[in-house]
Amino acid sequence: MTLKLCVLTPNRIILDSEVKEIILSTNSGQIGVLPNHAPIATAVDIGLLRIRLNDQWLGVALMGGFARIGNDEIIILGNDGEISTDINPQEAQEALEIAEATLRKAKGKRQVIEANLALRRARTRVEAVNVIS
Amino acid sequence: MSSTMWATTSAKPTPLSAKASSRRSSLCIVRCSLRDLRDRISSVKNTQKITEAMKLVAAAKVRRAQEAVVSGRPFSEALVDVLFNINEQLDIDIDVPLTRVRPVKKVALVVVTGERGLCGAFNNNIIRKAEQRMEQLKQLGIEYTVVSVGKKGNSYFQRRPYIPVDRLLESASLPTTKDAQAIADDVFSLFVSEEVDKVELLYTKFVSLVKSDPVIHTLLPLSPKGEICDVNGVCVDAAEDELFRLTTKEGKLTVERDTVRTQTTSFSPILQFEQDPVQILDALLPLYLNSQILRALQESLASELAARMSAMSSASDNAVELKKTLSILYNRQRQAKITGEILEIVAGANALA
Repeated sequence: MTLKLCVLTPNRIILDSEVKEIILSTNSGQIGVLPNHAPIATAVDIGLLRIRLNDQWLGVALMGGFARIGNDEIIILGNDGEISTDINPQEAQEALEIAEATLRKAKGKRQVIEANLALRRARTRVEAVNVIS
Repeated sequence: MSSTMWATTSAKPTPLSAKASSRRSSLCIVRCSLRDLRDRISSVKNTQKITEAMKLVAAAKVRRAQEAVVSGRPFSEALVDVLFNINEQLDIDIDVPLTRVRPVKKVALVVVTGERGLCGAFNNNIIRKAEQRMEQLKQLGIEYTVVSVGKKGNSYFQRRPYIPVDRLLESASLPTTKDAQAIADDVFSLFVSEEVDKVELLYTKFVSLVKSDPVIHTLLPLSPKGEICDVNGVCVDAAEDELFRLTTKEGKLTVERDTVRTQTTSFSPILQFEQDPVQILDALLPLYLNSQILRALQESLASELAARMSAMSSASDNAVELKKTLSILYNRQRQAKITGEILEIVAGANALA
């Protein structure tokens, strides 16, 4: 029994495969999805999506979006996504440090909003690299 | 000035040599030596090679740009599907920050230009459209600020400090989600922090390989049905997606535009929403915003490449024409020189004999 998972972003299809289980981060917490899950629609937060294929866990850094689960089919529409194997760990760490520095220097409502978003994204990418496999 | 040196040439000018004779007179003033003409011919030949190569590169890139648009389709189709269904299931009027309609006091204009020149009138057209819009807004008494994307627009606005500019962004060769995200973040924070009340996107729509249109689309406030609105309030339903496709017809590159009506399937009726409708729409509308911006960037890139293709093609043709003219000139001069030498030798021989 497998789930058919489709992760789409505006410019490409990140992932389209059969998986055993996924763990999704939403605004209201993390959801684990197994085959025969009840149909739900949920907003996805900026965070890590963990996928299990044959006892191997894979991480995908998702930058927010929407997920629809039903009939053993999961469609995730993300603003942007990167598979953990495609992320360069050093570059991700540097990006995180730059984002933290930008947040400290941010002044005014607008800059703070932007800096916060950038920080969350950088943090997600670093987490994706450290996923337990 | 012209006729005395060229007395030996034919009296009756042909159309080509009429052009050539006027060029001859101007060339005469500058340089008449065989070597200079030869150098000039070889430089024109090199230039023609370069412009030909640029045209082929642009043609290859248009194909890539088209593939990028095609690979973005599954996302927009799925998104439109979801938006449509969610709207049907939620009848109550929902107040999401991105759809709030406020009285307009300040407008943000996102202007998409190209990174490089040598593309004909492409950059000029979009900048002129931007100037027209700014004039319109000034007459209505509405303030504006500009977010410029692309090196050409950036340098234009940098040289004019009287235009309020918010941010200057540059993008690499093929627009990625990160570029669209950067613009979306900027626009999002401008709108939500109430610094501006309306955001308009100015980009060049790709009509065909020889025609492109600068258009203005209202980006924010979004309408919850997922419609894209023109400045005049003309709304295009997102369920009708326009696609352009580069194909070959009778051996020539052409572009076909289709309108694809995406089929919206209905959701399972027992579908539960994990969060309340406001949060769901809050997550969906930025996705829509991103995909709109990315589409605009991709179309703008395709228009730029098509403009470059046509500009380089006419440059190549002009170079070939110029080389022909110069070659004729060169040969005429070479023959005149030889004739001169023969005359001298014969005259000398006669004098001795």
